[in-house]
Amino acid sequence: MSPDFLTGNWLTYFLLIQKIFFILCSIFYFIFAAIVVRQTISMSKNITDKFNPVIVIFSYIHLILAAFLILSTIAL
Amino acid sequence: MNRSKDLDTIAPDDEVIDSKPETTSIIEEKSEIELTPEIKDEPILKSEPKSNPKTPKKIVFPQKIYDILGHTKSPFSSFLVHPKVLTFPERDNEEEIYLALRQHWFTNFKWIAFTIIMLFVPTLFNYLSFLNILPPNYRFEVSLFWFLLTFLYAFEKFLGWYFNVFIITSQRVVDIDFHNMLNKHFAEADLDVIQDVSSSVKGIFGTFLNFGDVLIQTASEINQINFEKIPNPEKVIKLIRELREEEEHKQDEKGGKK
Repeated sequence: MSPDFLTGNWLTYFLLIQKIFFILCSIFYFIFAAIVVRQTISMSKNITDKFNPVIVIFSYIHLILAAFLILSTIAL
Repeated sequence: MNRSKDLDTIAPDDEVIDSKPETTSIIEEKSEIELTPEIKDEPILKSEPKSNPKTPKKIVFPQKIYDILGHTKSPFSSFLVHPKVLTFPERDNEEEIYLALRQHWFTNFKWIAFTIIMLFVPTLFNYLSFLNILPPNYRFEVSLFWFLLTFLYAFEKFLGWYFNVFIITSQRVVDIDFHNMLNKHFAEADLDVIQDVSSSVKGIFGTFLNFGDVLIQTASEINQINFEKIPNPEKVIKLIRELREEEEHKQDEKGGKK
């Protein structure tokens, strides 16, 4: 074990592990958001109604935010 | 704002002042298609050729439906009478949707309340000591992730409510369900195979807000269809009974002609 860890630099390692964890989570989240978009489009095709385009737009906004989450996590 | 008073053209977002049309407009329509009071109860005007574009399709029978069900004003309503826009791919060309139902709005109360609570959780982060060891940008990241999760939770619940519909058409009853956004369940029963229709209103809120289940027993392969937590179950039963009677009349007429 490195002396740095013993002298209190453990926070650097902790943050590094956390960053990797965040990146992985945000990637999974992005994949899930993409599935949500696909399912929303599929559901909209099955039941056509007035507000379907609005719902699909919301799912795309969610996907964009999920992409932003990945970028911001990498930039940490 | 001028709004159409022809009941056949009333869409969910049309403002309707009176549930019954003006007498004069009915007289005008009757004279136009030469309807006599004796044939007012006929479901479909079969004497008129279908190819005639001026023929007002089912001008009398939908009025009966409006009399039973009333009108819907909001497209987000869980009780959509004669919806203009809503449709589904399995629908036939000549099939007309009389009623589209979603679960009563009160069924959404639980997840809406939970979402509101989730939205306030990040404000508690400031008071939690274990998060103070993180740098501010990490805390922002945690908050952003939390808000996205909250949005996803609410969005999934909303989609579950919005796309789970029960539809009563001129030919059949249809139940379209999506489970966990991934599995689609489609059940239908023709009006002529419906045997029994029963309803149950349970609990304080069900009684107070008038929503409950409607169970439709059929003679087909899918022997029952359950409309869960729908508003005005007694009106739905009345409508199905009316449609069954019309269907029986039609079949009797067909049998009589043969």
